[in-house]
Amino acid sequence: MIAATEAAGWAGMQFFGRTTASVSHELKNALAIIKENAGLLNDYLLMMDKGMPLEPDRLRLVTGRIDQQTQRADDLIRHLNRFGHSVDEKFTSVDLNEVLALLAALSSREVSMQQATLNTEVEASPVMVKTTPFWLLTLLGHCLSFALQVMGPSKDLVVRVTKTEDGGLIRFEQLEKMRQHPFPGESESALFEVLGATYRTEPEKKCMEIKLSNC
Amino acid sequence: MRVLLVDDEVDLASALAERLDLRGIEADWVTTAEAALEKASAVKYDLAVLDVKMPKVGGLELRERLRRLYPQMKFIFLTGYGSEIEFKKASCQEGESCYLVKPADIGDLIQRMKDLLAHGDGGGDQ
Repeated sequence: MIAATEAAGWAGMQFFGRTTASVSHELKNALAIIKENAGLLNDYLLMMDKGMPLEPDRLRLVTGRIDQQTQRADDLIRHLNRFGHSVDEKFTSVDLNEVLALLAALSSREVSMQQATLNTEVEASPVMVKTTPFWLLTLLGHCLSFALQVMGPSKDLVVRVTKTEDGGLIRFEQLEKMRQHPFPGESESALFEVLGATYRTEPEKKCMEIKLSNC
Repeated sequence: MRVLLVDDEVDLASALAERLDLRGIEADWVTTAEAALEKASAVKYDLAVLDVKMPKVGGLELRERLRRLYPQMKFIFLTGYGSEIEFKKASCQEGESCYLVKPADIGDLIQRMKDLLAHGDGGGDQ
């Protein structure tokens, strides 16, 4: 168990590093757009000072971009903040619907860089499991990276949360090439062990399931 | 000076192009490496400003492709990378100042463009 904890800890640090690097990169882009469009507004004002006419539609377009990117940056920071708080408690109840939504938000850049689409399907009511939130996010992050590696040419991924009698299932679908890549690796095996989670791969159905139990 | 901007962030590329135009620099923009190669085959650009991380083909690979086709073209990278030192090691030859970190100042960008075209101390062949 000590070896698994160490391996899971390292996998967690890698996931933390990868996620913060990716989100901060996104933030830099949002800030760059805000800066450039604010600069453009300033350019328009200078033109007006020189007596050049200004079209209201141009102003609306540019202020709209600034508004949109401010919202994007706010969302990124909110998700990063929630991710940071995932280490607040070592063992607690979480809603798998919310965990999946956070994972999708944190991974949006990784998904878009692969030109993939991630479709999440959740239950109408909360799917509560007792777990270690940070390690669960780490495991799901690793699974998503694996899914991006083995997805089919349509690059559509589906991740589905389902309630079970004693917890919940998270199912990754449309993993067309999963026979060609080994799973789980050392990191994922360690995470399954420390989380007490189980998994099942079904290459013929092109999917894998992660089962989390409250027992 | 004729410049090609390549960035997968539409609202960044379009705003930057407009600001450069207002300063007398002819700037076109595209959002993918493929579109950049197509555009460059139709228009002679002095310089390309490239985003580093883009889907499919990133800025570093695009520079190599454009360099092979248009040896006279100069390059500046715009990067959101946190690790600037690592990026510089990977992308710039010794003594080069070939990149700016987002969000960049337009005055700095224009100065860098002028320096590159005046002295050729950039990403393109000397």
